[in-house]
Amino acid sequence: MFEQIIMAFLNGILLGGVLALLAFGLNLIFGVVKIIHLAYGQFVMLGFYFIYFFHTSWHIPLIPAMAMGVVAMGLIGILTQLLIINPLLNAPRLNQLLALASLIIVMENLAQVIWGADYRGIPITMPIIQFGDIFIRSSFLAAFIGAIFTLGLLYLFLNRTYLGLGIRAVAQDLDMAKGVGINPKVIYYVTLAAGGALTGLVAAFFVPIYTVHPHFGASFTLMAFVIVVFGGMGNLLGGFISAFIIGIVTSVTAVLSSPEVADILAMAMFIGMMMIRPQGLLGTES
Amino acid sequence: MLKVQGIDVFYGEFQALDNVTLKLDKGQTVIVVGPNGAGKSTLLRTISGLQKPRRGSIEFEGQRIDRMEAHKVVESGVSSVPEGGRVFPNLSVQDNLKVGSYNKAAREKAEEWLPRIFELFPILATRKKQRAGSLSGGERQMLAIGRSLMSQPKLIMLDEPSLGLAPMVVNMVFEFILKMKQEGYTILLVEQNANKALKVADYAYLIESGKLVYEGRSEDFDKNPYIKTAYLGI
Repeated sequence: MFEQIIMAFLNGILLGGVLALLAFGLNLIFGVVKIIHLAYGQFVMLGFYFIYFFHTSWHIPLIPAMAMGVVAMGLIGILTQLLIINPLLNAPRLNQLLALASLIIVMENLAQVIWGADYRGIPITMPIIQFGDIFIRSSFLAAFIGAIFTLGLLYLFLNRTYLGLGIRAVAQDLDMAKGVGINPKVIYYVTLAAGGALTGLVAAFFVPIYTVHPHFGASFTLMAFVIVVFGGMGNLLGGFISAFIIGIVTSVTAVLSSPEVADILAMAMFIGMMMIRPQGLLGTES
Repeated sequence: MLKVQGIDVFYGEFQALDNVTLKLDKGQTVIVVGPNGAGKSTLLRTISGLQKPRRGSIEFEGQRIDRMEAHKVVESGVSSVPEGGRVFPNLSVQDNLKVGSYNKAAREKAEEWLPRIFELFPILATRKKQRAGSLSGGERQMLAIGRSLMSQPKLIMLDEPSLGLAPMVVNMVFEFILKMKQEGYTILLVEQNANKALKVADYAYLIESGKLVYEGRSEDFDKNPYIKTAYLGI
């Protein structure tokens, strides 16, 4: 039992890393563009299908197919900005939410029309790593390492480049950012492209772990949203920490009782946080 | 250098500026005086491109800037120091300065200018890694001025740089404005502290409820009996 809890804890950390990457994109988009990208999980679903399609229909080797999936999702992000978000930038919040919620329906049905409702996956067998009595799936470990590495790169991008500085400036004070010479439109496109590419990358990490179906994305939208709000909307560090909290709690609870109870506990924690600290873990009141 | 020609600016139905005309020559320091809510800040926001005039035109170095996006206006050489030393509170002092050099022309000179700003304001050098939000009011004002200088401006607009500062810090800020003037910058200064501002300015305008009510050389300004009692308190 003790080993099982340790294993669940480790798996929670590994899961947390991937969730942190998933939540990062949603959080960045909210922080910069001030839009809640409700179809974020569906982007992961679409990215998964892209990789599947490139690999099985075009017979492109897996790693290049994954890279193409990342690029394709970056382009989808740009298109989303161009066709959906730009026209609604000054629209009431509710209209923006409704537009992005309809994007969920469009994408899920599009996937169903193109690929059908069957579960699809790319069969890959990755070894299980053993340390004494502890077993870890290398697919989880690879996803975790990839996610943390990507987050590191994103940190450097945001802190070491002019574009990253522009993104942080727009997130903090749009008016003043314009006043110091930043074109917010460019920043929005970059943010949506980065957010889109991240969903492609998350999909690539999921390829050895899951199979995909048209409704694959829904749970990830919810998960990412819960993490982001739990950590404080727009606060990247808060999102990072809460991804690990949610990852570990759900993983350990799933072993101690059942995955259903784990989901209940995660949502209960979320509701509890909203009652005690509506601004989230590291969010600021406003 | 800057020509503002009969601009009307509205916030919804409310008219903030009514037929305002104003001119700045290269190297001049011009102040705009007026009570709270007279439209002084709106004037600067409109020149910056953050607000669009409904009527009239704004020219900078012979180029129409009133239809330009704000970031293009900065690129053409107009930089503003917003009211209250508004900085990006969650960026470090150094990043706040760096963001000033965001426009293409300024980026190349950023490496060279950062040490110069730190030399001008040594206090900023000692706090360069700190969050800008942790600075005092005076330090923020210096940071906002430094950030503006980083954009390689030809025209610097300052919005109430002395607002809310201790008298000693106010003196420092005005000494610095004088220094910028001597270095050849063209300066448009909006101030309630008319006494101090008149000493550094060449020319002055008075705005009341969105309308220009008086203009003249700054040495003539305090001879006007109305201005004397209403704005200078003498």
